[in-house]
Amino acid sequence: MRDDIRAFAILAHIDHGKTTLSDRLLDLTGTIPSRQMREQFLDAMELEREKGITIKAHPIRMRYQARDGKTYTLYLIDTPGHVDFSYEVSRSIAACEGAVLLVDATQGIEAQTLANAYLALEHGLEIIPVVNKIDLPNAQVEQTREDLKSAFGFTDAEILTVSAKEGTGVPELLEAVVARVPPPKGSADAVLRGLIFDSKYDSYKGVLAYVRIVEGVVRVGERVLLMQTEKLADALEVGFFSPDLRPVDALEAGEVGYVATGLKTVADCRVGDTLTSGVTPANEPLPGYRPAKPMVFAGFYPSNSDEYPELREALEKLRLNDAAFTYEPESSGALGHGFRCGFLGVLHMEIVQERLEREYDVDLIATAPSVEYRAILMGGEEIAIDNPAALPDPGSILEIREPWVKVTVITPGTFVGNVMELVQNRRGTYIDMSYLDPQRAMLRYEMPLGEVIVDLHDQLKSRSQGYASMDYELSEYRAADLVRLDILVGGQRVDALSMIVHRDKSYKTGLGLVTKLKELIPRQLFEVAIQAAIGGKVISRATVQPLRKNVLAKCYGGDVTRKRKLLEKQKEGKKRLKLVGNVEIPQEAFLAVLRIKDEAASR
Amino acid sequence: MPISLYVHIPFCAARCPYCDFATAPASTPLRDRYLQTLAREIALRGADLGRPRLETVYFGGGTPSLLQPSEVEALRRALDDAFDVRPTEVTLEANPETLDAKRLGAFRTLLGLTRVSLGAQSLEANGLRALARTHDVADVLRSVELVRAAGGLSLNLDLILGWPGQSRDAWRADLERAVRLGPDHLSCYPLTLLHEPEQSVVNWPGSGWPSLARWRSRAAAGQPEDDVVADMYLDAERILAGAGYAHYEIANWARPGHESRHNLVYWRDGDWVGVGLGAHSHLGGTRSWNDGRLATYIERWSAGAPELDSRPGDAAETAILALRLREGLRVTELAARYGAPAADDVRDRLRGLDGAGLLRWRGERVSLTRRGRLLSNEVFVRLV
Repeated sequence: MRDDIRAFAILAHIDHGKTTLSDRLLDLTGTIPSRQMREQFLDAMELEREKGITIKAHPIRMRYQARDGKTYTLYLIDTPGHVDFSYEVSRSIAACEGAVLLVDATQGIEAQTLANAYLALEHGLEIIPVVNKIDLPNAQVEQTREDLKSAFGFTDAEILTVSAKEGTGVPELLEAVVARVPPPKGSADAVLRGLIFDSKYDSYKGVLAYVRIVEGVVRVGERVLLMQTEKLADALEVGFFSPDLRPVDALEAGEVGYVATGLKTVADCRVGDTLTSGVTPANEPLPGYRPAKPMVFAGFYPSNSDEYPELREALEKLRLNDAAFTYEPESSGALGHGFRCGFLGVLHMEIVQERLEREYDVDLIATAPSVEYRAILMGGEEIAIDNPAALPDPGSILEIREPWVKVTVITPGTFVGNVMELVQNRRGTYIDMSYLDPQRAMLRYEMPLGEVIVDLHDQLKSRSQGYASMDYELSEYRAADLVRLDILVGGQRVDALSMIVHRDKSYKTGLGLVTKLKELIPRQLFEVAIQAAIGGKVISRATVQPLRKNVLAKCYGGDVTRKRKLLEKQKEGKKRLKLVGNVEIPQEAFLAVLRIKDEAASR
Repeated sequence: MPISLYVHIPFCAARCPYCDFATAPASTPLRDRYLQTLAREIALRGADLGRPRLETVYFGGGTPSLLQPSEVEALRRALDDAFDVRPTEVTLEANPETLDAKRLGAFRTLLGLTRVSLGAQSLEANGLRALARTHDVADVLRSVELVRAAGGLSLNLDLILGWPGQSRDAWRADLERAVRLGPDHLSCYPLTLLHEPEQSVVNWPGSGWPSLARWRSRAAAGQPEDDVVADMYLDAERILAGAGYAHYEIANWARPGHESRHNLVYWRDGDWVGVGLGAHSHLGGTRSWNDGRLATYIERWSAGAPELDSRPGDAAETAILALRLREGLRVTELAARYGAPAADDVRDRLRGLDGAGLLRWRGERVSLTRRGRLLSNEVFVRLV
C-alpha cells in the first residue's frame, strides 16, 4: 500500500480551464521548470493546440511536498472534454481515486460537468468541487457555489475557489487533493492487474499502454497479457510521464505510467482492457471494459482516384494510433473506391479527417455523416446499414430502426423556449425539465441520434447566445418512418448523395438539396437535370442550364505558351470535379447534403 | 523561306488595368537602352537566320505608335541591315490618343506601312471610362480620319465587349458605330480579367499588383453575365456579317482580302521571329521567348545572343491554333507534321466531343460551329 500516492482527474466542460489548471499544477510542483513552460503544455498534438481541446488523455506524475512535511506522488490524468470521447473519460476516471470538478464561474454548471460528475460519483471517486476563473470581472462565484451545492449536495466548506490563470487558490487545491483523495487500495503483492486508459503508437517502442497499476507490479522485460484482446507482449520498457517518458525498472500498485509493448497497432491494446502477467495471469479482468463503438459513419474517398493506395496507407497508420476509429473498403458509383469509416461522433470524424489531410497529406472527399440504421427485412432478418446508399429496396423492408439518445441540455431559463423549439423540430420527445437554480434549467429529451449529429450542438449554441450546453447517451433503437432520399444527376443516381430521412421531412430536404446542388454544379455542355427521388418517384427537380460561353480574351497571337498555361489551369480545375455519368460534380456538392439536412432539420 | 517578324514596343503613356502584355512606361529612363538593345537583337537574330526575307512585319506593344520619327528611323536601319525587307504587309498597332500625322507619315515612309490596327476598344464614352482608357471617342474618330486621309492603308479597329456595366444594347450600338466608320477589319474580344500579375506590372514603378488586382475584382463584379456576353458575341456575328465582314477567326472579322496575313501566320502555325520584350518566336517547330522584365531583357541581349527559354511545339497547339480559324484544321496535315499517332490522338480527343454540337467535320477537316466558337475553351482544354 502506498500512502503517498494520490491519483486524480480533472473533470470540466470545454473551456472551463482544465488545461490552464494542469499547466499551473505542473508549474507549482516544479514538474516543468517555468522557463520550459508554455501554454497548453500537455496538448502536444497540433490539432489540440489549435482547437483548444484535449483529444488524448494526458497522464502526468508530479512530486509535491505538502504542508504536513511529507512528499507525495500525484498522478494527474487530463481527460478529453468532448462528448465524443466520453468513454475515454470514463476509463480515465476508473484509473483514479479522486476528481477535481472544475466549473467556470462565468459559465456555471454545464451539461458536460453534470455528465462527468455523475460518472465520477458512480465510480466512487472523491470529488473536489472547484470554482475557477474567479479573477474575471463577470465571475459569479456565489451563484456557482450555490449551483454546486444544489446539484450535487456539496457543502460550502468543500468548495474551493481558484484562478487557474493567476494561480490564486491553486496551492490550497493541491493540499485538498492530498488531504481528501484517498490513497490507492491495491496491494503490490497481488497478481498484476493494470487498467489501460489510453494508448499511443510510438514508431520506436511500438504501442505504449497508458496504465494504472491496480494490483501487483509490472517489471521491465516481463511477459504481459492483454486480457480482452488476448495479446501477449513483452514489457520492453516501463516508466512514468513526467511529462516526458522516464523509464524505471518497475511500476507497482497505485502507480500510473506506461508500458512499451512492442505491439504494432493500438487496436491490440484497447482502452479499458486489463494488463496482467503473461506467466501467471489474473483470473478476472478489471470490470467495465467495453470496446469503443463507432456511432457515426461516413465515406472517405480520395479526391483523385489514383490516390486510393495513399489513402489506404494513411488510414492504416492512423488506425495504429486510434482504435476507436474503424474503416473498411467500399465503392461508390460516383466516387470510385474509398472507405466507409466509423467514428465516435462528428468531432471525432472532423479530427480524423483533418489529421489525414494534415499529417498524411491526402486530399479527400468525405460524404455526409450517417448513423447506423437497422433494417428488418421481410424474412425477419436484421441488417445494419451504415451507408444510406446500401439500404435495400423499400419493398423488401419490414421496418427501419434508428438509434435514439437521451439528451441533457442545460440552459439559462430565458432560452428554454428556443431550445425546446430546436429539439422538437428534430423529433425530440420531452422527458422532463428541472431548475438547477432560479436561472438555469435542465431539460431532458429523447431524440434520434441522426438528428443530433447534424450540427445540433452548434445550433444550440447559436440559439442561446452560446450559453446552453448538451450531453447525450445512447439509449435504444426505435422503429421510424424513414425513407431513402436519392439524388439523380443527369438521370443517374449519385449513390454518395443518398441519405436516410424521416418521411415527414423528405420533401423539404429534397427541395433544399436540389436547390443547393443547382448552385454548386457548374454549367456543363449539356443541360443537367437534378432530381430528388424516393423509391423511384421524383419529388423535386431543378435544371442547370447548359454553358454558353467559355472563350479567352485577346490572346496575343504569338504567345501560345501563355494561352496553353491558361488552358492547363482550366484543365486542373476540371480534375477537381468528379465525373458522374457525363456530368462533372464539384467535391463540395458531396458535403451539401450535410448543410441541407441541417437547415431542414432546424426549420 | 520568307518568315514573319514581330517587333515589340512595350512603351505606353499609361497602363491599361486589364492588359496583360509586356509593357513599360513611355518615360522610362531605360527607353533609349531598350531601343538600342532591340536593334542589337534584330541584328543578331537576322544574322543567325541568314538574313531571311520578311513576308509580314507587325509592330505591336505596348504602344508602338508613340515612337518618335528618329526612333523609327533607327529601327528601320536595324531591320534593313538584318533582314531582306520586302514584306507584303506591315502593321502598326496604334493608340488613338498618340497617333498623329507626323508619326504616321514616318512609319509609312520609313517602314512601308500597309495596315493600322487602332485600339479603339469602345466608341462610347462610358465604355472607355469603364476600361480606364485615357483616350476619348473623338480621338478614335480623329485617328480613323487620319488613317483614311493617308490613303491606301488597311484599317483594323479593336473593340472590347463585356466591359463593366455594358448592356447588350450598348454593345450593338458600339458595333453599329464601328461599322459606320468603315474599317476593313474588326477584332472583338470579350473582356477577360485574369488574376495573374505575370508581365502586367513588373516594369511599372509605384503601385503594383495589389491595386491592379483591386481594379480587376471591382471591374469583374460589374461585368455582364456570361449569357449576356454570349448574346453579344452572336450580335457581333449577325451585325458584322450583315455589313459584309467575314468571321474568319474566333475574334476577327475582315472584308474580303483584308484578313491579317501576319496573324494568319500565327494561327496556321507558320514560322516567325519575335523581337523585343517578352516577344515569342516559332521557328522550325520550336517556341522560344524573351524575358518580360525590361532590365533583364537589356542585360541578356547586351552580352551577345543569349540562350532563350524555349520548348518544342506540339500537335495539340497546332490544332488549337488552326481551330480558331473558320477554315479549321486538317487532321491529315497534323499527321504529316507530327506523325500519325499524334494526329490520331487529336482526332480521338475531338471525336470524344461528338454530339455536343461544338465541331463540324467534313472528311478530315474539322472546324468550330457557332456554339463551338463560344465554347472554344471546352474544346481546347480537351487537347492539352
